[in-house]
Amino acid sequence: MRASVNRPPTPDVGDTQEKQPTLEEIINIKFIESGEKERLMELLRERLIECGWKDEMKALCRAFVKKKGRNNVTVDDLVHLITPKGRASIPDSIKAELLQRIRTFLVSAAL
Amino acid sequence: MSSRIDHHHLPINGQILPQPCPHLVEFRSRNGAKPFRALQDCLRVKPPGGHASIRREPNEVPRCGACGESGGVTRLYACLACAAVHCHAPPGPSHAAVHGESMSPGHEIAVDVDRAELFCCACRDQVYDRDFDAAVVLAQTAASTLHTPSSIVRSPHPENLRKRRRVDYRPWTPDPRERVLVGSCSSPLNATVLDSCSRDFPSGLRGLNNLGNTCFMNSVLQALLHTPPLRNYFLSDRHNRYYCQKKSTVVNNGSKSNAGNPTDSRICLACDMDEMFSAVFSGDRTPYSPAKFLYSWWQHAANLASYEQQDAHEFFISMLDGIHEKVEKDRRKTQSQGNGDCCVAHRVFSGILRSDVMCMACGFTSTTYDPCVDISLDLEPNQGGSAKMVSTKSNHSCNGEADHMNLSQNCGTSTLMGCLDRFTRPERLGSDQKFFCQQCQVRQESLKQMSIRKLPLVSCFHIKRFEHSSIRKMSRKVDRYLQFPFSLDMAPYLSSSILRSRFGNRYFPFDGDEPDASNKLSSEFELFAVVTHTGKLDAGHYVTYLRLSNQWYKCDDAWVTEVNESIVRAAQGYMMFYVQKVLYYKASEKRVVP
Repeated sequence: MRASVNRPPTPDVGDTQEKQPTLEEIINIKFIESGEKERLMELLRERLIECGWKDEMKALCRAFVKKKGRNNVTVDDLVHLITPKGRASIPDSIKAELLQRIRTFLVSAAL
Repeated sequence: MSSRIDHHHLPINGQILPQPCPHLVEFRSRNGAKPFRALQDCLRVKPPGGHASIRREPNEVPRCGACGESGGVTRLYACLACAAVHCHAPPGPSHAAVHGESMSPGHEIAVDVDRAELFCCACRDQVYDRDFDAAVVLAQTAASTLHTPSSIVRSPHPENLRKRRRVDYRPWTPDPRERVLVGSCSSPLNATVLDSCSRDFPSGLRGLNNLGNTCFMNSVLQALLHTPPLRNYFLSDRHNRYYCQKKSTVVNNGSKSNAGNPTDSRICLACDMDEMFSAVFSGDRTPYSPAKFLYSWWQHAANLASYEQQDAHEFFISMLDGIHEKVEKDRRKTQSQGNGDCCVAHRVFSGILRSDVMCMACGFTSTTYDPCVDISLDLEPNQGGSAKMVSTKSNHSCNGEADHMNLSQNCGTSTLMGCLDRFTRPERLGSDQKFFCQQCQVRQESLKQMSIRKLPLVSCFHIKRFEHSSIRKMSRKVDRYLQFPFSLDMAPYLSSSILRSRFGNRYFPFDGDEPDASNKLSSEFELFAVVTHTGKLDAGHYVTYLRLSNQWYKCDDAWVTEVNESIVRAAQGYMMFYVQKVLYYKASEKRVVP
């Protein structure tokens, strides 16, 4: 990627200096830098597999592809299909666990 | 607006690789695989588990160059030509698509920064490239072999799995000389013995008398008498009991002292099987008493020699072992069981299981191969009406009963494929079962996963219905119904499939894959026998259902009756026998096969 030829124009110095990072952005950066976001993502993946949520989503996708035909489905179609169902079917226990972890992190990061 | 590309499917290494879209083709022709290799520096893999993402710096927070979005709801794509990152969030704006269009040509191909998947901004869909996947897999495996300098991907080859050369089937009919030979060395079955009703029954169906709680033996014997490769072996005189006995006597008299029973070498379970096959396929329909076999088996498994009811599965294992031991004694050298060269029992039933144990700290994976003659499966724990545990592998389209199973799964019924899913699922070895990691040099928590390296000709699935607890000093039987299919595709449980799914179903060659369609055929199995158990743990009865010419027969000791398949489907399966749908001839290296 370093050997790129057609780089987009570098943004003007003036533009970046006007934007102050929001609180959300600061938290996000701290989240990532400390590695906590990564850990929580792994935890979430594990929990969603354990409770069968991933399998459920996979089954939905397979059924959809079977109905539409393999050549007539895009990634966007699948994302559009499972996003509402996926969000709705996450068990409360998992939500609670992650929220607790995030709260603990915020406290410890002394923000 | 997205254009639909007609993807033609080419099987490569047993996998179907969709044809690239025209933009990817053009990109490849212009740049070759260079951009993919350059990406490798940016591939970040978080061991263990190996999710690959694209980051220029380890803690980079990618943002859309146009609107500043940093993921979450949107997906972010990095252009392979200029490294610009843009968002893609349909039905909202897609700055990635805009970038592709505005900088056209050459900027259509991008990569999902969080998932390391290729995307065509013009077609607005994911695209696939073997070289790209190879680069990702390389990065993923390199992450788990940090300190070993030499190799990366190569998992240890089981030495007893040689590449089989497949030989085409050629039909054979005896020539006049052979016809004379066949005529002079055999005698025709006496057709007048058969009465009208038994002529309707297929050959080889004969009841077995119960010799005193021996239904455990009868049920397994019925299944074996109709195991196609085993039946063919004995009926084509591959183990001649007269010749074997004569040989044993010579050996017996020749050796100085026979430690133990002097009649030892004359006990041969294979000879007794040979006699049984001859009797059962003779055309005589009166029930047969396998007394000689029982006596021989008692000699072999002295601890089980009693008139008490025994476990059918235990008998099955013991019997195969008995056949193997005798052959080994005759040959006086050990052969590996894995490729089935040692004896007919292993030739028919032996497969190879692969066990991967991955250290959760560093990702280092240790792989072992073990031969097995059957697979013992745990019944799923009671799901109690929860519809959450839907098994996706059983939705495999090749399984003709996918819809039927889908319904039952939503109601919480256990299925054989569900059990196989559990068998091959990654299992966490907790803090009390820490595994010694060669890389970390300490005991670490690990992830263990089983898969099937080599399928046997005949798969026997044993359902663990009898639980014995030595702590609580009690045993119990699990009566829960298990649904089993009549046709079974074992492809999802093969090591190649399991491994691929571990790498996110990326395309990469798996050692041992044969680049032809035969792999597909050799993973399809057909059910031919079911051993069922009814009643309590200590007071129960074994019955076998046999499938001959797509007709089911119930073998209840001496009574053999024709039954409807619905009876079989509803039965409580304890051992299920499946045979490979298509058998192949293996090119023989020896001139004469003993």
